[in-house]
Amino acid sequence: MKMAMMVAGIAIVAIAAMSQVRSASWDERVFSSHVDFAAVAGAGAAAIPALIARGRELFKAKFTLADGAGRPKATQAIVPTKRKHGVNPAFTRTSGPDAISCAGCHNDPVTGGAGDFVANVFVSEGFESAEFDTTDPTFSSERHTMALMGAGLVELLAREMTADLRAERDEGVKRAWSRGADVAIDLVTKGVRFGQMVAHPDGMLDLDRIDGVDADLTVRPFSRKGVFTSLRQFTINAMNVHHGMEAVERFGVRWTGTHDFAESGVPDAVTQGDISALVAFQATLPPPIEKTDLPADWRAAASAGARTFGELGCASCHIKELPLRSMLFTDPAPYDMAGTLRASETDRAIRIDLAKLPFAARLRRNDKGEWLIPLFSDLRRHLIVDAQVNSLGNELQAQRFVERDVFLTPRLWGVGSTAPYGHRGDFRALGEIIAAHGGEARFARDAYLGADETVRGNVIAYLRSLQLEAP
Amino acid sequence: MRTLFATLLALCCTPAHSGEAPQKPLGDIPVMHEEAAAAGLDNIYDGPWEFFVGGGGAALDCDGSGFPSVFLAGGKNPAKLFVNKSIRGGPLRFEEKPLGIDAPQHELDNVTGAYPVDIDGDGHMDLVLLRVGGLTLLKGGPNCTFSLANKQWSFAGDPGWVTSFAATWERGEKFPTLAIGHYVDRHAPGSPYGTCEDNALYRPQSGDKPDYSVRTPLAPGFCALSMLFTDWNRSGAPSLRVSNDRQYYRGGEEQMWRIESGKAPRLYGRADGWRHLSVFGMGIAEGEIDADGYPEYALTSMGDTKLQKLDPDEAGKGEAPVYRDIAGDRGATAHIPYAGGDLKPSTGWHSEFADFNNDGLLDLFIAKGNVEAMPDFAAFDPSNLMLGQWNGKFAEAGVEAGIAGNHKSRGALIDDFNLDGKLDLLVVNRSQPASLYRNLGAKADGEPIEMGNWVEIRLAQPNPNRNAVGARIAVKTGTRTMTRTVQVGGGHASGHAGFVHLGLGTAERAEIRVQWPDGEWSFPYRVFANQFVTVDRERSQAAYWYPGR
Repeated sequence: MKMAMMVAGIAIVAIAAMSQVRSASWDERVFSSHVDFAAVAGAGAAAIPALIARGRELFKAKFTLADGAGRPKATQAIVPTKRKHGVNPAFTRTSGPDAISCAGCHNDPVTGGAGDFVANVFVSEGFESAEFDTTDPTFSSERHTMALMGAGLVELLAREMTADLRAERDEGVKRAWSRGADVAIDLVTKGVRFGQMVAHPDGMLDLDRIDGVDADLTVRPFSRKGVFTSLRQFTINAMNVHHGMEAVERFGVRWTGTHDFAESGVPDAVTQGDISALVAFQATLPPPIEKTDLPADWRAAASAGARTFGELGCASCHIKELPLRSMLFTDPAPYDMAGTLRASETDRAIRIDLAKLPFAARLRRNDKGEWLIPLFSDLRRHLIVDAQVNSLGNELQAQRFVERDVFLTPRLWGVGSTAPYGHRGDFRALGEIIAAHGGEARFARDAYLGADETVRGNVIAYLRSLQLEAP
Repeated sequence: MRTLFATLLALCCTPAHSGEAPQKPLGDIPVMHEEAAAAGLDNIYDGPWEFFVGGGGAALDCDGSGFPSVFLAGGKNPAKLFVNKSIRGGPLRFEEKPLGIDAPQHELDNVTGAYPVDIDGDGHMDLVLLRVGGLTLLKGGPNCTFSLANKQWSFAGDPGWVTSFAATWERGEKFPTLAIGHYVDRHAPGSPYGTCEDNALYRPQSGDKPDYSVRTPLAPGFCALSMLFTDWNRSGAPSLRVSNDRQYYRGGEEQMWRIESGKAPRLYGRADGWRHLSVFGMGIAEGEIDADGYPEYALTSMGDTKLQKLDPDEAGKGEAPVYRDIAGDRGATAHIPYAGGDLKPSTGWHSEFADFNNDGLLDLFIAKGNVEAMPDFAAFDPSNLMLGQWNGKFAEAGVEAGIAGNHKSRGALIDDFNLDGKLDLLVVNRSQPASLYRNLGAKADGEPIEMGNWVEIRLAQPNPNRNAVGARIAVKTGTRTMTRTVQVGGGHASGHAGFVHLGLGTAERAEIRVQWPDGEWSFPYRVFANQFVTVDRERSQAAYWYPGR
């Protein structure tokens, strides 16, 4: 039966591949062919292993000019934006393109992982001051490379949280209209509070007291600031920023009037299917583990540290586990906007059941059957500096409406493998980054620093046991 | 294993792009689904010669739901009010509500068009009815109720054949200044040729309620079929553009009046740089299509549409109103039917810039249709939906969009009737039922698909002029800034009030700045895409709004 389904899936896909162009085996180009989204989606589960494998290849691929790399006439901006003058050099360490490959930065300790300080990127809007050759923070925000392990689970959590928050809003709005009176709406999902909004009987919403999430109530779980909704959106942006590879669904003729917005000489350089391959690879990266195969002293300290972590207040934001109702990862995602493929733009979605992947076996489930995702984050933004403790307040630019000193709670799973720490990666050790917590995390930081050396050591031992694993 | 992956990959991949001929239009084409009958919108504009022109209506939120209801002219048929009962994103649905106005019937007869404007600033949108016979002012009340207000507001009705209207708040005034455009004086010797009535300006007199007892003639009148207050040179004092029908005037031309607070209106003339232009002027639309800071104007006519741009060589920085026609360069002449094979000249009526496909570019809609049975002009003359392109041109999409019907179309209302972020279209047709098109999304192989992002903006400020008529809205996404101006007037006997719609393309955030009618710029308001927002001058943040159904 299984074999029959697979054969059927391949047969459907094959129709779209009849005229495939073959290239020489030594060809430096990455794209001698493109993934066909519709064919993969139509083939169902049978096509997923190959899709993931192709995604892994693309993640490690070194994009060439013949593939359309470099965006010579376009900037790194999230919306199609032309350079004002001249052409981009092949590589520019600051404003990009700054990498030939995704894995050029995401490689520590394995492909898809984090990066050393040398792999930092320089984030800017890419509009008025798109080109800069300085690390001056007035031009860009320097960011450390984040590990992508478990990213599919993270996105699924965010999707469910977005659905919950929007349902709460919609219900409150409806009640306010029907009652003719103000309705206060508590925004809570998976035990995480996002403040409160008030719906007025004329349809107006008072958003002054929402907290840690955007006004459209989309939980954006990716990037240090939490400004990307999905792996798909992140991937399209990153492909453009870092490699100058422009996806059709954002930069194609539909939104720019041209098949080659960047004037790379390669029309429609990155297809929907190519992006889906990259998404599938990232979404299926196994989540980090809590390592137990440790020396006895470490194991004992880590066990004590796990308790202390909660007692000190760290877990108020770095929540160990968030419950996930469904492990079905669909591509496209439900809350992306125009410029990132949306469900209505496809006949059917690519469906990846993460529950069927090997890593699912080690995830705990609660009595409701929900999967407990040990990400150590609330997927919420917090103010992380105050007047006394402000070394993390080293950025000068807001990013996509998120203030300069507000960041998404970093996921601590894998933290034992991803030094250096902090959004700029300028803290070498865990104790240093804990001490840098101010603002809303100040109380926990003070408690940590006020604890005796053994207690502090236990916390470090625990955090160091949270490690990335080779996929 | 490697072989298996290689095999699967080979099977799941298509060849690299080999270069295809570009399609025109290149972006999304909106699918406009006609559903007037199903929506319960049953209205026919009709009548003899006096009703060959006109045929418009007003869209306004009259019940506080946020959904735009419509008031439609009927000509010799009764005008009707249709209350919007649609639900968000659903099929369009309207219910006729009897006007129930205690007024002499002649005040409500022979209606040719309507505009919404909150004259008295009470928060309820009022209606201005254009009639063969004069102008009627209806004061809006709660739940889509209206009452005759001519007497209450000391307005004598400006008797005559009224065919156009515009309103603005002059500096320091509590209430709007009304401009009223007239057509032929049917009782003058030699009528109808060379007998255009004078137009009029009504400035509010001092007091706590609107007082329009003083009439200022705007003479000469050249049979004005469209008027629009427009700040053409960004001086802060809008002038009054008047588009005139050369069919009946003698020695006339297009006009623009300088309207300065406390001064008598003065026509721009040759000494000011104003150039002679004579067209069968039917409708004015204003839009900023090239981001040069000054508005462009689309003037409909019989034959080619004019698309006017302030002449960069001769207009200075708005010192002289010298305009250059760029319709040919931009592919927007729309001079003959684009479908049906009739090569006689088109007859254009309502014109309006709007972004139907949410790509961030202004499109241009022109209602088309033979006057009645003019043999020298196209009989089958479908309305235009010219989609803005990234190269600055317009590309016709009327057939593909589904609006290329056989009608004698006149006025139109472009509004988001089901609050789904996509602009719908209501077209008033002469002698035929009005057409109501629901925008279903972008044309695709199967079902229509989602289009670009959008935002809809409603302005609020303390009285006077609580709806900020004359304000300029600038919406910035990346390096692009799109603008809209809140106006009362223009088009062909039709206007709408309420949310101002902008397409945002792929931008998921936008920054809104407002130049309020008094010239002050707001600070930037940050909003997410795909939201309805209210920008209140007294609040530091834009407020999000959600419909109740």
